[in-house]
Amino acid sequence: MRKKFIYFLLNEAGIGLILAALCIGFSIFVPNFASLHNVTNIFTQISINTVIAVGMTFVILLGGIDLSVGSVLSLCTIVAGLFMTKEGVPLPVAISGAIVLSLLAGMVCGLFNGWVSETWKIHAFVVTLGMLNIARGVALQVSGSRTIFSFPKAFNEVGTLTFGGVPLIFIVAVTLVLIGQFVLNKTVFGRLIYAIGNNEEAVRLSGHNTKRYKVSAYVICGAMVGIAAILYMLRLNIASPILGVGFELSAIAAVVIGGTSMAGGKGSLIGTFIGAGIMGVLNNGLLLIGLSDFIRQIVTGGIIVVAVVLDTYRVKFSHMLLK
Amino acid sequence: MRKLLSVVLAVSLLILLPCAAGAAEKPVVGLVMKSLANEFFKTMEEGARKYAAEDGTFELIPVGMNSETDIDTQINAMENFIAKKVDLIVLAPADSVGLVPSVKKAVDAGIPVVNFDVTLDKKALVDNGLPENFLFVGPDNTLGSELVGDFMAEKLGKGAKVIIIEGNPGADNAKQRKEGFMKTVEKYELDLLASNTAHWETEEANTLMTNLLTKHPDVQGVMCANDSMALGVVKAIEAAGMLGKIEVVGFDNIGACQQLIKEGKMLATVDQFGPEMAANAIKVGFRILGGEKLDGWEKTPVKVVSAADLK
Repeated sequence: MRKKFIYFLLNEAGIGLILAALCIGFSIFVPNFASLHNVTNIFTQISINTVIAVGMTFVILLGGIDLSVGSVLSLCTIVAGLFMTKEGVPLPVAISGAIVLSLLAGMVCGLFNGWVSETWKIHAFVVTLGMLNIARGVALQVSGSRTIFSFPKAFNEVGTLTFGGVPLIFIVAVTLVLIGQFVLNKTVFGRLIYAIGNNEEAVRLSGHNTKRYKVSAYVICGAMVGIAAILYMLRLNIASPILGVGFELSAIAAVVIGGTSMAGGKGSLIGTFIGAGIMGVLNNGLLLIGLSDFIRQIVTGGIIVVAVVLDTYRVKFSHMLLK
Repeated sequence: MRKLLSVVLAVSLLILLPCAAGAAEKPVVGLVMKSLANEFFKTMEEGARKYAAEDGTFELIPVGMNSETDIDTQINAMENFIAKKVDLIVLAPADSVGLVPSVKKAVDAGIPVVNFDVTLDKKALVDNGLPENFLFVGPDNTLGSELVGDFMAEKLGKGAKVIIIEGNPGADNAKQRKEGFMKTVEKYELDLLASNTAHWETEEANTLMTNLLTKHPDVQGVMCANDSMALGVVKAIEAAGMLGKIEVVGFDNIGACQQLIKEGKMLATVDQFGPEMAANAIKVGFRILGGEKLDGWEKTPVKVVSAADLK
């Protein structure tokens, strides 16, 4: 019985234990860390990375990767920003149009990534590296490399909405995590994502069109980036062709810290969400302690490696328990 | 590799095309720019083109790069300019050490080089057999940030509590701007609560400022090393409901920040006249071609921009 409980704790709570430990540690040693105000801030700060990481989880579960998310996010903000600031467009049309365009831009980039890499059997690393440059170039070209601002006041105000201390953009992020987790666990599509990540050939031989599922995962990733772009604009009220540099690395880090295997087939969105939480909590807590920029960078990097190493022991240990 | 190849092709095309077209005897000026992805350099390049078109006495060949760190493109451009025997090279180096050997080659080939925007490294210059006080045309970043810092300190009064948001650690202009802010801090005996980097980025500056506000809710002023970060800082202050209690100054004078200054959400920024900077460097270059011997630092203007200037 006790064995079973420990097994459950290790397997299901997993990396969440590390997040809990960090939160408890910071709450004890850092004044203000556990204040409602600070928790609200952390929620806001991890929302965008969480949403991108949800999409990233889908492609990593397949054994793929998407390096283009930062550039595509920037492109989505430009497309949406240009539309929203167009003269003479009625407000509701401007805002809803911007959201739709951002989603579409993201999905088109995702479709390109998935379709090209699947049709010619090129590793997604290369194709999405290409897309990283293409999307950035298009964003710069279309915007004339200028920052777009002066969005409608109503739009900017929505960005600061909170419900009992919980920011709207965080609610969007959590909702997407839950929907995504449901899709992965409870739908045929989701189970096939895991199956393809484990053994693509077996899935293909059992009569499934694996290409279609794989391309869909990249389109989902693109859609998530499109949503993240809107959240970015809500939070900072700008659209810029130079934003989002390095976002792919934060998203991949969240996914991997969350226990998803880079080889595919294993992982969960709850894990990804916790991974994004760990990064946000570290960034916030270490600053509040008063560490300098460089020490903070070293400690963050160290904790990421330690967390993932500990996770391998967790998996080994829980397998031992099962025997 | 393919990227490199395409860049080399593009650069050689850029250089060969006007060469084939323009048979006139006008002097040729090669302009080596930094990343045109950056709004600041983009307007600078446009300014240089405009100057060349208005002046009409010389032919301008501008070359940009793909990213801030793409120094191969700059080195290739320098070599192409030398091979083409242009009359003058005007260079904004992406790497203050890496470009020095190319400068030496050009000087040896008898082509005057004007260094602008970022200074070439003194030690690298000497190592390559060039004078230590090699001509540099550019703004005084330290003075600019000191001026805008002082402008804020005048408003806040002596001993005010302030925060500095730094640029990329290691970048020369980031160091100089922090130095300028530090002069303000000393002069006005300000209480420096924190000085952190947000790597020039809006989102990172927003996260950083939000967290700093938790730690130091009593802060009165924030000095940002560029305007992109000021955007994120102002948004953080706004989200915390502390607009009007905290003054923010930036650097670069971008459109989005002019808007914030007009709305009273930001106090001031620094204009270093980017559009004219490359054009100024070209003008200085023509003084050399006219026989003048120039070295040391030809300073270009910096100016504090506040609501009074943006009517």
